[in-house]
This record gives sequence, structure tokens and C-alpha cells, in this order.
Amino acid sequence: MGDGDDLVFKALADPTRRSLLDELFREDGQTLSALEARLPMTRFGVMKHLKQLEEAGLVVSRRRGREKLHFLNPVPIRLIHDRWVSKYTQAWAAGLVELKHELEEE
Amino acid sequence: MEKVYEIYIKTTPEVLWEAITNPEIRAKYNFGAGMYGDWTPGAKQEMRSANADFTLGTSEVLEVDPPRRLVQTLEANFSAEAAAEGSSRITWEVEPVGDSCRLTVIHDRMRDGANDQLYGGWPMILSGLKTWLESGELLTTPGSLMYT
Repeated sequence: MGDGDDLVFKALADPTRRSLLDELFREDGQTLSALEARLPMTRFGVMKHLKQLEEAGLVVSRRRGREKLHFLNPVPIRLIHDRWVSKYTQAWAAGLVELKHELEEE
Repeated sequence: MEKVYEIYIKTTPEVLWEAITNPEIRAKYNFGAGMYGDWTPGAKQEMRSANADFTLGTSEVLEVDPPRRLVQTLEANFSAEAAAEGSSRITWEVEPVGDSCRLTVIHDRMRDGANDQLYGGWPMILSGLKTWLESGELLTTPGSLMYT
């Protein structure tokens, strides 16, 4: 999963790509044309950023008849949360429990 | 409204199918809840947890094509907000890719602006499924403990 994590962090490191994700969070399942109309970007720019988001797994596209819809896939962010963040919050919680015991013993 | 979730899991389609359809395994990563009932089109199922004294949801199985595709309705009852949304539809698609499977979950036929309690648990469920299949361990992040 190491390479996958790198792709996610790289994709999220760009404010334009984050704004694309925000736009899909606001309204999921949009076409390239709809995204192009909503964001101050050229069609080529939207395509380029969408491709990077798709490679990171943060955007999933599905064909619906003639249209290709883009969906926000929050699963990779959840995987990073479960892999990293929860580990640190656990240590933090354990530290608080220890502090509580020490204070109560005084 | 439609939501699409995708995850890659290092396993075989057969093992993945079993982890989705066996309620005892499902409960390990699905907030403690499994789907109980036959996996045949038209069958009615109940979502239950050993730690909840009420039925968390009901479902009608629509399509079963092991180990590739599963479609069923969901009438959620795990919270008042989710119950108020009525019936929606869940599709599981399993596609082998190299030594892994691409699992896509499509939750659709939801009202526009549906309450996110209905679909918001999917990332946690799929992360837990991946952890269980790849390491045999259970996720113990606080949110994943609901109904367990």
C-alpha cells in the first residue's frame, strides 16, 4: 500500500485538486463538462487533475449511457486514517490514561 | 442520489465473496452487523447484530452472481435518520486485478440530499474488510465499534 499512499498524498497536496474533490463532495457524480463549468479551469486542466485523482483512487468514474460521471471515493483517505491517525490517537489516549493514573496516585 | 466506493484488496474473488455474504464474517467489519437470509433473488434478509436488540435493517436480494456481482435493496433501521430515508439499493462488484480484487460498492436509488448516516459508513466498512482479509485483524478505531 506504500505506493498507493504516496499517490494519495501527492494528489491531495495540490489546492486545485482539493477544490475538485470539494466540488464532488458538494455534488457527487458530475461529468467533465459540469466540473469544467463550475471551476476556474480549462477543460485540459480539469482532465489532467481528474486523471491524477483517479490514479490515486480518490475519484472513480462510471459510464452512464453516453456520459462519464466522476464520483468522490473517500476510501483511500479512510485507509490512511486507519493506518496512521488512529494509531497516534490511540497512543495519545493511552498517554492520558497513564497521566490519570499517575495523578490519582499522588 | 448515487455514491460509488472503490477499494483494492489482496485476496481472491471467492474469499471476498464469502466475507461479504457470510454474516458472521460480515459482522467483524460492518459495525458488528451481518446480513441474515438466503442469497437468492427475491429472498428477504435482515441486518442484525448480536449486540443490538432490534433489527438494524431489512433487504430484498435482487441479483446474485457469485463471486462477481451482488445487488440488494436496503431498508435501513440502524438510526432514525437512516430509517426515514426508506429503501435504497446496494451493488457489490468484484473484479480480479493481478493478485488482488477491485471491489466497487455502488449505493444508489437514494433521495437527493439523503442523510449521510445511510451511506457514510462505507469507507470505514471497506477499510475494515480490507484489514480483516489482508491481516486477519479487526479494526479498533472508535467509530468502527458501534453495535459491537
